[in-house]
Amino acid sequence: MNEQDGHGPEQREDHADPSLWRGLTQPRLSRRQMLTTTGAGAAAAFLAACGVKGTAAPAGTSAPAGGVGTAAWWSKQQLHHKVNFANWPLYIDVLNGKHPTLEHFTQTTGIQVNYTEPISDNVAFYAKIRPSLAAKQYTGFDIIVMTDNTPNALGYLMQNGWLIPLDQSMMTNFRKYASKLVTTFPWDPGNKYTMAWQSGFTAIGYNSSVIKNPPSSVDILFDKKYAGKIGMMSDLQELGSVGLLSLGIDPATSSESDWAKAAKKLQQQKSDGLVRAYYDQSYIGHLKNGDTVVSQAWSGDIFQANVSSSKYADLKLMVPEQGMMFWTDNMCIPLYAQNPKDAMMLMDYYYDPQAQSVLEYYNDYVSPVPSAQQAMLHPTGWAASALKALHPEIGLPTSLVANAPTVFPTATYLKQARNYFPFKSQEELAAWNKLFLPITQGT
Amino acid sequence: MEQTVPADHTGNLGDSRRRFRPGKFLAPYLLSLPAGLWLLILFLIPLVVMLSLSLQTCNPATGACVMTWHWAEFGQQLSLYHTQFITSIWFAGAATLICLVVSFPISYWIAFYGGRRKNFFLLMLLVPFFVSFVIRTVVWEFILSDQGIVLGALKNAGLLPQSFHILATGWAVIAGLAYNYLPFTALPLYVAIERIDKRVLDAAYDLYATKREAFLRVILPLTIPGIFAAFLLTFIPALGDYVNQQILGGTGDTMIGTVIQNSFLTTLDYPGGSALSTVLLAVALLGIFGYARILGSRTIEEYL
Repeated sequence: MNEQDGHGPEQREDHADPSLWRGLTQPRLSRRQMLTTTGAGAAAAFLAACGVKGTAAPAGTSAPAGGVGTAAWWSKQQLHHKVNFANWPLYIDVLNGKHPTLEHFTQTTGIQVNYTEPISDNVAFYAKIRPSLAAKQYTGFDIIVMTDNTPNALGYLMQNGWLIPLDQSMMTNFRKYASKLVTTFPWDPGNKYTMAWQSGFTAIGYNSSVIKNPPSSVDILFDKKYAGKIGMMSDLQELGSVGLLSLGIDPATSSESDWAKAAKKLQQQKSDGLVRAYYDQSYIGHLKNGDTVVSQAWSGDIFQANVSSSKYADLKLMVPEQGMMFWTDNMCIPLYAQNPKDAMMLMDYYYDPQAQSVLEYYNDYVSPVPSAQQAMLHPTGWAASALKALHPEIGLPTSLVANAPTVFPTATYLKQARNYFPFKSQEELAAWNKLFLPITQGT
Repeated sequence: MEQTVPADHTGNLGDSRRRFRPGKFLAPYLLSLPAGLWLLILFLIPLVVMLSLSLQTCNPATGACVMTWHWAEFGQQLSLYHTQFITSIWFAGAATLICLVVSFPISYWIAFYGGRRKNFFLLMLLVPFFVSFVIRTVVWEFILSDQGIVLGALKNAGLLPQSFHILATGWAVIAGLAYNYLPFTALPLYVAIERIDKRVLDAAYDLYATKREAFLRVILPLTIPGIFAAFLLTFIPALGDYVNQQILGGTGDTMIGTVIQNSFLTTLDYPGGSALSTVLLAVALLGIFGYARILGSRTIEEYL
């Protein structure tokens, strides 16, 4: 993108008077301090100084320095009996204002969980914790949950070496129960940095009262019959990936020339007037009220619409023959976390089929633990009472959730699941954005 | 001697008061201090930070920025996004025109015929705007949906073709902007019209002016400063709006506000977003200075 990328502060001094650089950057003023101490200082110096601080890291996934995350480092860590967990809103079981799974975890381990929901957007949250990490400070969170289709959030965290490599010896439940879907990510081989929280599919939703028995193909998004009634996603990863799928290309192993072909096809789709609009989460409202008849769709939304009202029974999820995207929100431990060992305990706890069954009964996303299906159908112990207590709140029989392919995917779903392209550098991401951004926000 | 003493005395007293009471000198500065600090902290400093950021080169992954005096950023951003600027100017301009045409009769009627209930009518005009901006826009999205309560009924009655739609068009965006910024037009217009001395109308009629002439040659010239103030207060926020287009718009009608939002929140391209914001601000300031030159800044200040 530019010549400054990927250079450390030492290299940067080549571009400016070294004494000026030391004077301006060595004390590493925080952005806030900078704002309050700028009264003196000439305008030019101020303009030059009020940048956002941070240390550059080389591109590509890199481990944090100082042996953080090695077996030796982990052996020195101790339990602090507390953990700060940052998650997305409405993403955990709730009963009477409490979280049954977290309560059970605290009862069995003695670890207090400070559960907060500050994440409503990957990139915005990354931008929020980035200054702390750049300043080598604790972000305030021991576990954060980031989506794998956000190369400029989770991708950057890994490229910068800002995640603590997990303690593989503490992943007992994970190794025993985790689905193959979440142990084979091309962007995190061997689950060195992440463990899945929940997943979902980005497939195609359609209104079966208008479109009767369509062939299972992505081509429906490019069908002139539905011109102006097709909803596409504004998210560049989702948009680009479905473009690649429509060309029969697996996004995970695609090349830049494939991207260009996909962008061309999507541009054509837009200029032909097929696309109604590029939507964020609001796509589901438009699909429900008939503004669109077919749309890129997240599996959980269609399931929720179906069970929420008979009005939306016509909405169906299609699993295209070309494949559908499989996204995952991943738990990870940001660098400088103060309670990493407690974090590991909590992360692995959710791979216990019983805990997972309670969580999933509430969440209805794709579970990373297939055996939670049996745990939900034939609950025992504390999970049985927790599921029973949750039942009036949720109002659905456990068997309905347990048998939903969008919660416990069937073989067809598993076969069609595709991963996103694993971006390894900013240059790759810039190339992707340059191709697909003009589609959503250009003319 | 005896006569001059009191004169001297009072004169000296006055002089000494002026000389030895610094509070009197400082009073105006102290009084304007809150406003000055406000401008400094919430306008000037962010403005300089924004300008500075637009000239830096940043690493989006780490957030590390280096001042490189990269003036070319402006050219690059403009060449990428000039069409979105033009779209924004066209949408905001059209919306402002609609606002003026719609609110002039309303303001005129309230000012001239509102009587004792003027305040009540003004309140009625403002009540919908007590609801959050985004919620109001989302409600329009609901009302105007293709099979919704308005279009669905008209289509079922055979009055509109099935394919007709308002949402996902530029017209929907213009309508949304016009709706959302209406009070910013109506209130300055009302202030301007309300100030008109009703007797000048009588005088115009006494001089054989027709109603039309009285309006065009008396009322309208007297309200022109209010019209310009209304124009500025509506056009400038509408220019940078990014909510209406995202909720009501379709493809190919992206406004510059959305581009700036994406630069900051999606691609983490702070220099690019800052450069575009700076250009947007420059466009707005040019507009203000242009009007100030045409009308004189004092007339504008009175109505803003």
